[in-house]
Amino acid sequence: MAQSDEEDDYMNMTFEDVTNTPKETSLQRRVRKQREGEERGRIKSKAELKDEEEAAREAALSKALDTSSKGFKMMAKFGFKQGDTLGKSEDARKEPIRVSVKEDRGGIGHASDKKRKFKEQMEAAAKRAKVQEETQDEYLERIRQEHKEKELTGQLRSAQKVAERLDEEADEHGRENEASANVGDPGEKDRNTVPNTRPLKSMNVLYREIVRNRAEKERDRIVRKGLTSSLPRLSAVGEEEDVAYDPTTSADIARTLAENELDEEDRELEEFNALPIAERLEKLVLYLREKYHYCFWCKYRYPDAELDGCPGVTEEDHD
Amino acid sequence: MGERRSDFDEDNTRVKRIKVEQNGSSTPSKMDPAKNPYLAHWDNTDSKVSADGLSGFKRHATTAKQAQAAEDGPLNPFTAQPLSQRYMSILEKRRDLPVHAQRDEFLRLYQKSQILVFVGETGSGKTTQIPQFVLFDDLPHLNGKMVACTQPRRVAAMSVAERVANEMDVKLGEEVGYNIRFEDMTGPKTMLKYMTDGMLLREAMHDHNLTRYSTIILDEAHERTLATDILMGLLKEIVLRRPDLKLIIMSATLDATKFQKYFHEAPLLAVPGRTHPVQIFYTREPERDYIEAALRTVLHIHATEPEGDILLFLTGEEEIEDACRKINMEVDEMIREADAGPLKVYPLYGSLPPQQQQRIFQPAPPPFKEGGRPGRKCIVSTNIAETSLTIDGIVYVVDPGFSKQKVYNPRLRVESLLVSPISKASAQQRAGRAGRTRPGKCYRLYTEKAFKEELIAQTYPEILRSNLASTVLELKKLGVEDLVHFDLMDPPAPETLMRALEELNYLACLDDEGDLTALGKLASEFPLDPALAVMLISSPEFYCSNEILSLTALLSVPQIFVRPAKERKRADEMKDLFAHPNGDHLTMLNAYHAFKGDEAQENPKQWCHDHFVSYRALSQADNVRLQLKRIMEREEIELMSTSFENKKYYENIQRALVAGFFMQVAKRDGNGKTYLTVKDEQSVLLHPSTVLGQDSEWVVYNEFVLTTKNYIRTVTAVKPEWLLDIAPNYYDIDSFKKGEVKTALQRVADKVRRKELAKAGPSRRY
Repeated sequence: MAQSDEEDDYMNMTFEDVTNTPKETSLQRRVRKQREGEERGRIKSKAELKDEEEAAREAALSKALDTSSKGFKMMAKFGFKQGDTLGKSEDARKEPIRVSVKEDRGGIGHASDKKRKFKEQMEAAAKRAKVQEETQDEYLERIRQEHKEKELTGQLRSAQKVAERLDEEADEHGRENEASANVGDPGEKDRNTVPNTRPLKSMNVLYREIVRNRAEKERDRIVRKGLTSSLPRLSAVGEEEDVAYDPTTSADIARTLAENELDEEDRELEEFNALPIAERLEKLVLYLREKYHYCFWCKYRYPDAELDGCPGVTEEDHD
Repeated sequence: MGERRSDFDEDNTRVKRIKVEQNGSSTPSKMDPAKNPYLAHWDNTDSKVSADGLSGFKRHATTAKQAQAAEDGPLNPFTAQPLSQRYMSILEKRRDLPVHAQRDEFLRLYQKSQILVFVGETGSGKTTQIPQFVLFDDLPHLNGKMVACTQPRRVAAMSVAERVANEMDVKLGEEVGYNIRFEDMTGPKTMLKYMTDGMLLREAMHDHNLTRYSTIILDEAHERTLATDILMGLLKEIVLRRPDLKLIIMSATLDATKFQKYFHEAPLLAVPGRTHPVQIFYTREPERDYIEAALRTVLHIHATEPEGDILLFLTGEEEIEDACRKINMEVDEMIREADAGPLKVYPLYGSLPPQQQQRIFQPAPPPFKEGGRPGRKCIVSTNIAETSLTIDGIVYVVDPGFSKQKVYNPRLRVESLLVSPISKASAQQRAGRAGRTRPGKCYRLYTEKAFKEELIAQTYPEILRSNLASTVLELKKLGVEDLVHFDLMDPPAPETLMRALEELNYLACLDDEGDLTALGKLASEFPLDPALAVMLISSPEFYCSNEILSLTALLSVPQIFVRPAKERKRADEMKDLFAHPNGDHLTMLNAYHAFKGDEAQENPKQWCHDHFVSYRALSQADNVRLQLKRIMEREEIELMSTSFENKKYYENIQRALVAGFFMQVAKRDGNGKTYLTVKDEQSVLLHPSTVLGQDSEWVVYNEFVLTTKNYIRTVTAVKPEWLLDIAPNYYDIDSFKKGEVKTALQRVADKVRRKELAKAGPSRRY
């Protein structure tokens, strides 16, 4: 295939300047020249001069002589290489001694003392910043913990419900003298259909809390109900002090419901609640396994104590 | 007063004792009449035998006892002249010196070993006594050799030689002499020569094995001067070639193990100095203003401490004079208002005239009244009082921790004196000054923490702080080819050598291979910086070698113009009489010529005083000129002048300046006051002392002074065409960084080319 001259020669290494800057107009040029001239002609302030002087000095001081120096070539003749030192001692200098011009009358250690104080301030500021950073980390950790706890609490609640129901079922069985056990997922049954009439303290501590919570909720509901029913009277008075519900009234209602047990101290429950959630959950899981051959994680009640087919006691075993 | 009387008494008893000895020695009948000084005139024929108090001496096998017997006389063992009474009184004192107790030990080590490291603290007597101990054992005069003892400072070499000549009861310049740059005070009989280390180095250039000497003593080696360091490197090689040469390294500090290690574990002998404990005080907080703190401390000492003189260390002339003035003012007030005792304040620094330096030895003033508050003197000094000068009576030392130190950085190509923190070793040395006469106190005006953390252990040796161009030239002349591996105790940074080689190459003293050129060989004959030497050697090309010779001498001595603080205006007016609009070099030359004129020579001292020029510096320049002239004559460098009427008289001198100093040129930056040094592009100002107006675009300078502002000092105008013409290698325009200097040079080069073409005419244009 013959290549025509018009075709773009892609092997050509010369590039046309595509960034062709627009030609400077005479006016622009005049302005530029004038500006440059002013810059040159301007008398610099002392501070500017000093800064420039220092900058030039620092620039010269920080730039090492390189291998292009004729001196280097003469030294290379004797085997000198870049990075070598002179003489025969091991700890010979590589760099020239620094030149520093003392600009004030500060005594020995004054400058570094100032520097040190400055550094301390900087460090203190940095520390403060770090503290904030740490709290940020802690916050994330706390969120993680809270999340975990929430999850555990949920699991604990459902385990408690299972235990309560199984216990109730067992009680009913006992009372009705039914021989055959109800095998299946107890979770499917509506627990709330069976009202709990036994005293709180006789309930298994493992799930006593939910029973108590339920009772409290119920009491609150009733109190509120009573409160709403008495509203017209209260609004009629219209006095602030009467807006608050009458404790005696609500207490009476509550007593009828929970037999005053709710206000009593429950040491056993407090102790149990003081345990970490994970431990409480573990206790429940074990209780269910031992008593009902029920695995909370498999959500299955096994026929015997072997729990044949359950991978283990912990949630991780079931992953 | 009391002290003086006891001195007098001592002299009397000594005279008596000598008489007894002389009587005793003359009574026994065994006495050889030839040895009786009173009968010396009987027998002139065999003076050698009678003179030979050293008859039983076997070289390198003598004992202290033998030497002492010879020293006791009655005839001078080296000259056979009767010993003077002064000799005897000095001898007594010499035997009290700490080194004397270890003379035998010294001799044993000296005889056993080729190299010996000797440590003697200040006041041990090492500088005066050890060379004499050596003389009695080495007997150099019997082999036509000499003993050399080097000193870092000219003044020390001179004064110690004089002292030792007295101790040996000989005339200075005969058996004992000294040799410093531009002054040789030795003779054919000289057997002990004190000299600056630099002088011995120069001698080595012509006598690579230093064959004139049988023993070389490097004194004050702890000061680590450039020349001492180079000498140590050389001598380390020479001792291998010359097993008969003995070498003693003397140091005043205990850090002598470094010398031992360097000299292949040479034996070490240490003699304690005579010092008293010194209590050291630090400040609780770092000082905001060290001068203010220093003055406060001095006044506090004067007001509260018991009798004893004060030594305050400051950094330079101006600071010292200022401090003296302030102390005087404050003390006057203390005397008026607080009944303080009298306080005499003396400044002390290198450029102070010798008579004024001597004033520091005056006794402290007595109390105003009997039993009144003590009077004392306070010496405010640079670090010359740290090691080189010993002042008795100092009990209190005030040490702000700074000194002016030479620094050189090859990247900046600036050698400058900068105020820098001292080293721990220096601080120790300063403190030691308080314990010379009795237990003393040293007030360090910094915290103990700062002492520990901020001060370096040892002062950097001079070789790390110097431009090595001169040294490299000397070493090349000494036959040291491989400078990269030359065994120095503390090798400098490689860049320092790189820069020195490069500079010498531009000066055409070394060729591109690094070998010495003919010009380089010639330049090394002059005890001058290579730039000065090259300028001097090339000056006949510019028909002004006489003038450049004078100028070189003037640049080798301290500042000739004097400007006392109280009479600045008058001094400036006087300087204007000599001023040449084109620059300071030419102005200096005018002043010198006026000084050499008939009118001035009628009463030169008065003339100098009237014209605010330093008689001392000018006389010194005169002497330097004479020495350099001898070298020029020896090397057959023609001495000539352009006629003063010729309008090129000054221009020729300016051009000759460029031949040496083309690397020290600055160009004015725009139209402002600042200049830019070529190549390094440092922004600099003309030093206020210059006579040069602001209208010179290009200048050559003698010195770059690094302070809070960058200055160039001793400046003369030049034309850029000369730079291109005289130093084309350095002014190779392509080698310049893009910038104002390069553009300006390019313009000049183009102009020159156009002119040449025009001159050549149109026919040769193609």
